[in-house]
Amino acid sequence: MKRFVLAAALLALVVLVLAPLRLNGYFVNLIYITMVYVGLAYGWNIISGYAGYFSFGQITFFGVGAYATGFLMNGLHWYWMLAALVGGIVALLFAYPLGFVMLRLRGPFFAMGMFGMAQTVRVLITATPATGAGSGLYLPPGSDVTSVYYWTLAVVLGAIALTLWIDGSAFGLRLQALREDEQVAGTLAVNVTREKIVAFMMSALIAGLIGGGFIYFLNYIEPDAAFSSRLDLQSVVMTILGGVGTVWGPLIGGVVMTQIAEALWARYPQGYLIAFGGLLVALLILLPRGIVPAVMARFGTADE
Amino acid sequence: MHVVQIVVNGLLLGGVFALSALGFNIIFGVMRVVNLAHGDIVVLAAMTCAFAFGSLGLNPLLVLPVTVIAGFLAGAAIHGLLLRRLPGEIASAEASSLTLTFGLSFFLAGSGLAIFGGTFRSVPYLTGAFQVAGISVPQAKLLAFVAALVLALLLGLFLRFTVLGCAIRATSQHVEGALACGIDIDRVKTLSFGLGTAVAAAAGTLMSMIYNLSPQMGVEFTVNAFTVVVIGGLGNYAGCVLGAIVLGLADELTSYYVGANLSEAAPYVLFILVSLLRPSGLLGRKTT
Repeated sequence: MKRFVLAAALLALVVLVLAPLRLNGYFVNLIYITMVYVGLAYGWNIISGYAGYFSFGQITFFGVGAYATGFLMNGLHWYWMLAALVGGIVALLFAYPLGFVMLRLRGPFFAMGMFGMAQTVRVLITATPATGAGSGLYLPPGSDVTSVYYWTLAVVLGAIALTLWIDGSAFGLRLQALREDEQVAGTLAVNVTREKIVAFMMSALIAGLIGGGFIYFLNYIEPDAAFSSRLDLQSVVMTILGGVGTVWGPLIGGVVMTQIAEALWARYPQGYLIAFGGLLVALLILLPRGIVPAVMARFGTADE
Repeated sequence: MHVVQIVVNGLLLGGVFALSALGFNIIFGVMRVVNLAHGDIVVLAAMTCAFAFGSLGLNPLLVLPVTVIAGFLAGAAIHGLLLRRLPGEIASAEASSLTLTFGLSFFLAGSGLAIFGGTFRSVPYLTGAFQVAGISVPQAKLLAFVAALVLALLLGLFLRFTVLGCAIRATSQHVEGALACGIDIDRVKTLSFGLGTAVAAAAGTLMSMIYNLSPQMGVEFTVNAFTVVVIGGLGNYAGCVLGAIVLGLADELTSYYVGANLSEAAPYVLFILVSLLRPSGLLGRKTT
């Protein structure tokens, strides 16, 4: 079983690496979009799945990463990958003071507070002429899908590696301890403030790096797309479908859901909202632990 | 504009905010569920009223009982069919119900778009204004304010003096205690959720007279109600009215002095600030 999974993963990786060389543009774009969503889901899974702080505004860091990348490219004429790397780091640094403040809130207050944070940043950017306001920030013309593709693939693989490490490390155990009971974790000498801020910053880094690639992919970004609550909903649905707080949940959930999401959003925006909202409700009732734990239970191969 | 005029506008707005927040607060008080679909129910009721007025020529006050009953049934169904069947918790204690109502919110917003389309609607009913000592009081706002106060008062009397109201208050104070007194907790929860959404629907119907609304705006009213309830103290019904007046004033003041661009963020900023600074509310007791 284990050998089979490993072989399948290697095969998938080879296909993903070779895809831009062989497949036509439509499929490359589709795989790219899938990786964007999977990456966002991995970011969400660290702070919300492992640390238990459900955030409805992690998209803030996607937007911050995208805008920071745009500024560095327009203002300093940096090569886009360097700009996107620094954009991700800007998102990570932004998460430090933000986490220090916002992570004092708990449960619904944190979830809604983060939603409000995304909206507040969106409104601020829309009102600032220097950011291009509502019409968006435009990059110098010329985009290269292949390089964005490999960038995002690298970020997603990095996010999976990071999650694998968290899942098996003492840090991951400390996160799970504070998720189950923050006060008890505190009495067991877990520095809860530090641990959850670190988890928050990791989430932000992943979202920021993905956002940095995204602005280069589109060649521009507008506030409504950079801080879209729809993308937040999607990260939540995908991770819950796959399995919250599991290593492979965001990947499985993300790959399955992106195809449906893309087909619906372009053609039937109302249908998209109905389908994803309804699916989230149905999942919580019928399959609350997600696909990965359900499959694990069926085949008797528990993590530990 | 005169400062007194802004204050009057804020107070009138506060009345409707208070009604909306009361619905949110009942559901939180009894079930400890933060209903993120609250604003979508408000907006759906408003759209229904605007549609009934625009296409059928019905008086908003005649539509009110219909939306209230529909809201009650919808809320009872949401609890009976969905929330009650949540099998357990994912990740953390409140995450399950919170995420469910988050999904429900998008579901209702999408349904509203499919039914009413994305256009803004309102009810151009009683468009005149009274002039009192240089201050203008729009008739529609005054009517909405008075109706909201009457409904809030009726709700208060219901909670205070009826058997069911006592059962609701008992359940929100102590679930096990209420259970020990022979209260059917499950039934009380279903009724409270229905009551909470019925109140939200009433608030939405009245709001259609003073706001231009579209089905995507639900989340603003959710944040609005959440903020009011946080200011007043979660589960504190009297604090709700105070919180609503504070928010109504803040809303009018920011849109006048800061401008409409930035004032869109005001409810969110206020929510974050109040949650951080006074997590137990302005009137709330300190809880551990």
